[in-house]
Amino acid sequence: MARITLNSVGKRYPNGFAALEDLSLAIADKEFLVLLGPSGCGKSTTLNLIAGLEDVTAGSLYFDDVLMNVVPAHRRDVAMVFQSYALYPHKSVYENIAFGLRMRGHPRAEIESRVKDAARRLEIEPLLERRPHQLSGGQRQRVALGRALVRQPAAFLMDEPLSNLDAALRIAMRAEIKQLHHTMRTTFVYVTHDQAEALTLADRIVVMREGVIQQIGSPEEIYDRPRNTFVASFLGNPPINYLEGALAGDGAGMRFERGALRLALPPALAQPLRGQAGRPVRLGLRAEDVDERRAPRAGETLQGRVFSVMPVGSDQYLGLESEGTQLFFRVGRDVRHREGDNVALSVNTNRVQVFDPSSGASLLWQ
Amino acid sequence: MRNLGRNILLFAASAVFLVYVLAPVAWLVSSSVQQESEITSRPPQWIPRQPTLENFRAIFEAEEKQVTYETRRQGDPATGGFIPSTARDLVPAMWNSLIVAVAVVVLNLLVGVPAAYAMAKIRFIGRSSSIYFMLSTRVIPDIALVVPFFLFIHKLGLLDHLGSLIITYLAITIPFTVFILVSYFESLPDELDKAARVDGCSRLQTLLRVYVPLATPSLVAVVLFTFLTSWNEFLLALMFTQTPASQTMPIVVAAFTSDFTISFSFINAAGVIAVIPPVVLAVVFERYIVSGLTAGAVKG
Amino acid sequence: MSARIGALPGAFRAAPVSRYDQAAAMWLLAPMLVVLLAVAVFPVLYSFWVSLFDLKLTRPHRVPFVWFENYATVFQDPLFWSSVWRTTWFTLMSVTAILVIALLIAILLNEEFPGRRFLSAMLLVPWAIPYVANGLMWKWIYDSGYGALNGLLLQLDFIDKYMFWLGDPDKTLALIANAFVWKEVPLAAILLLVGLKSIPADLYSAARVDGANLWRRFVHITLPGLRPAFMLVMIYETMMAIRHFDLFFILTEGGPAEASHVLAWQVYVETFRKLSFGTGSALAYIMALVTFLLAFWLIRMLGRKL
Repeated sequence: MARITLNSVGKRYPNGFAALEDLSLAIADKEFLVLLGPSGCGKSTTLNLIAGLEDVTAGSLYFDDVLMNVVPAHRRDVAMVFQSYALYPHKSVYENIAFGLRMRGHPRAEIESRVKDAARRLEIEPLLERRPHQLSGGQRQRVALGRALVRQPAAFLMDEPLSNLDAALRIAMRAEIKQLHHTMRTTFVYVTHDQAEALTLADRIVVMREGVIQQIGSPEEIYDRPRNTFVASFLGNPPINYLEGALAGDGAGMRFERGALRLALPPALAQPLRGQAGRPVRLGLRAEDVDERRAPRAGETLQGRVFSVMPVGSDQYLGLESEGTQLFFRVGRDVRHREGDNVALSVNTNRVQVFDPSSGASLLWQ
Repeated sequence: MRNLGRNILLFAASAVFLVYVLAPVAWLVSSSVQQESEITSRPPQWIPRQPTLENFRAIFEAEEKQVTYETRRQGDPATGGFIPSTARDLVPAMWNSLIVAVAVVVLNLLVGVPAAYAMAKIRFIGRSSSIYFMLSTRVIPDIALVVPFFLFIHKLGLLDHLGSLIITYLAITIPFTVFILVSYFESLPDELDKAARVDGCSRLQTLLRVYVPLATPSLVAVVLFTFLTSWNEFLLALMFTQTPASQTMPIVVAAFTSDFTISFSFINAAGVIAVIPPVVLAVVFERYIVSGLTAGAVKG
Repeated sequence: MSARIGALPGAFRAAPVSRYDQAAAMWLLAPMLVVLLAVAVFPVLYSFWVSLFDLKLTRPHRVPFVWFENYATVFQDPLFWSSVWRTTWFTLMSVTAILVIALLIAILLNEEFPGRRFLSAMLLVPWAIPYVANGLMWKWIYDSGYGALNGLLLQLDFIDKYMFWLGDPDKTLALIANAFVWKEVPLAAILLLVGLKSIPADLYSAARVDGANLWRRFVHITLPGLRPAFMLVMIYETMMAIRHFDLFFILTEGGPAEASHVLAWQVYVETFRKLSFGTGSALAYIMALVTFLLAFWLIRMLGRKL
């Protein structure tokens, strides 16, 4: 049970490359924190620093107010699950799971009961005598989880543990991991580049880019109130659409203009944008924030020409060319359009985002 | 039909190389069991009609039969009759070779395995320098080691001692050992290292409990290479040993070849005896040699 | 997002490499470093030191310091230069033969056919036997009285009487090289085989689809892909050939009339027959230096082409 605190942590390699720079983060006890970002953003590095597999080169790392900078990995009370599972090939499943407890000197009887217990919980009891190379990917994943579980550590660290599984298994395992967190009541720090995974699992998400934290917040916060275009683009599938334009009007009449497009901004959004008429802005519009069924009204309409229709099972992705740009929207399966059709979509203006075009910073949420 | 032609070509080529590789050795063996009359025939008797194991018996019994100037004609007339007085040195010399080889192997493992693990898996300051250092020590020819070692060992009074050989052989075996082990360790997944450390292993424990069990092929290759290098080494042994007490097998065998009174079959027999242990080892462990030299792929 | 959190201090100066890791690495490395320093580095330095003295074991009490006189003596000795020439010739002959034969064997072993395992196991026999036994074996084969070479050539009518092979100055180096090559080929073949196996099969498939025939595939895929292994074998065997001693001792003892008097033999004679440790050391040191520089140069020159 641990709070993990990073204060101005930096990680610079001997060749000069700085993976992390001045990173500060407070992970609360028992929370499920997800580090989200593209490859190379430093999320795995952060996890390695917490585990002690690499050393902090600047700043401090604390577990519950105890300075951990010089404590080597094998003396920290964390357990880790790796993307490639990292099971010991020459040991049986039982031995793999028991290894951590054996190294820490637990008595044999206790080890046996804990291992059997974890195996039962993960439904891998019949596999205990097998070797890793005899298991399927999903089974190996469970063994890796078991190895971490059985340790009952202060914190669980997971480095993209589901990336190597196929899609169906991944969804099932996500649910299991969420369930595990609920029963174990321990801090989970989870690294992934999959935004859907982050949104499903996290209590809080830390979005990272090139070693710098972009935003920390609950999934809802990150999704509904992104602080910059990077965060807005990273979450959401299909990615958020952008339209360059300008603000016009003021007060109740505040609107976004681009060419012939006029979108009225509701008062809640117009408030922080007061007095900035004429300012060039980038409008963000999520793919699902259009409503095909509602009759379009003035100030809420987007007109365009359909250039692509892609059915994806339960939905369709509609490619719309409007005001000189290409936009993608998600609409229902029953919506019938063909390429070349001119359509007018009703926009949910309560959910638009407004960004500064050069810095990418959100003008609504900071 | 193309397959048949290809197979024939391959078989023919194999036959050629097999002859190239084995014919000299076959002749060695054949010569070692020939009687004097056959061995001194022109042209040579390729396959002996009356083979005899007399020479081998003489070598193994030489220790009991004290051979002096008077008695050296005691050998079987079939094999020429002459048994050198140094014959009885062969078996003890092989013991010496064995002791030295085993000691060198053990020391190589003790010193080389931890060093190889550190260089392969730990990122530390001075890592690449260590690697270059280790490789460059192998470039030094054995000759260059001879004089300084000789003077030093002479000063220490270790001149006729097996210990001097063991120490000097370390210089010529350790770099290669570490080289093989480093490249093998590097091929093993890094994540096992991380998993072990998170599981509570110190670096040493990670090495012993996780990597060593997985490195079996290359460990076998290392043992084999080191053993053979040690067993076969000649120059340094020549320098540092003066009496049969410490002479290793190559020295004794070399002495035979320069003794003109010995029958040829005897020399060949000594050669066969010298050859059997390393060849048996090499053939038995053949598959480890290739896999130990290449980085193996480990699943799991 | 860089606010200090709570009352915990932020600054902490640390090294770029984990303290624990650095210490652990040092401990693990220490035995090897100590051993190599003691048995490899120290002797070389010591031998340089000795080479500055006129140390003759025939008169051990007077050991004057002579600066680089020993080196001068060595360089002015025509025997030294002829030894260099012979060593070079021996090395070139041997390494070329080794590379050619080993390449053929490696190509053969790369194919799948029944009996391949047997061949590759038998291949290890020459490699495993000690050089002493190797020398003994070939000495017997080359023997002027009853040797197999004589016998075989006579039976095939290539010669009409038994010849004293090892006594012919023109042939000595070649004969010794033959014995050397015979023993070195297996290891070279294995190293080349490893190199061959590391060429991805996809390249060959792609080439076949592109219409390349066997020869073309060999020239454009196999040879380039084999380059690193080839370089390794060439460098290694060159080093082995330059410093080789054992066969020269067993077969010819530097003779006849210095026909096989190579550098390694020169060092032996100087040190252990003439007991002149000063010049012997100088010679050994020159050899070490040349070998070292040659290795360095070869790696640089050939490595750049990789």
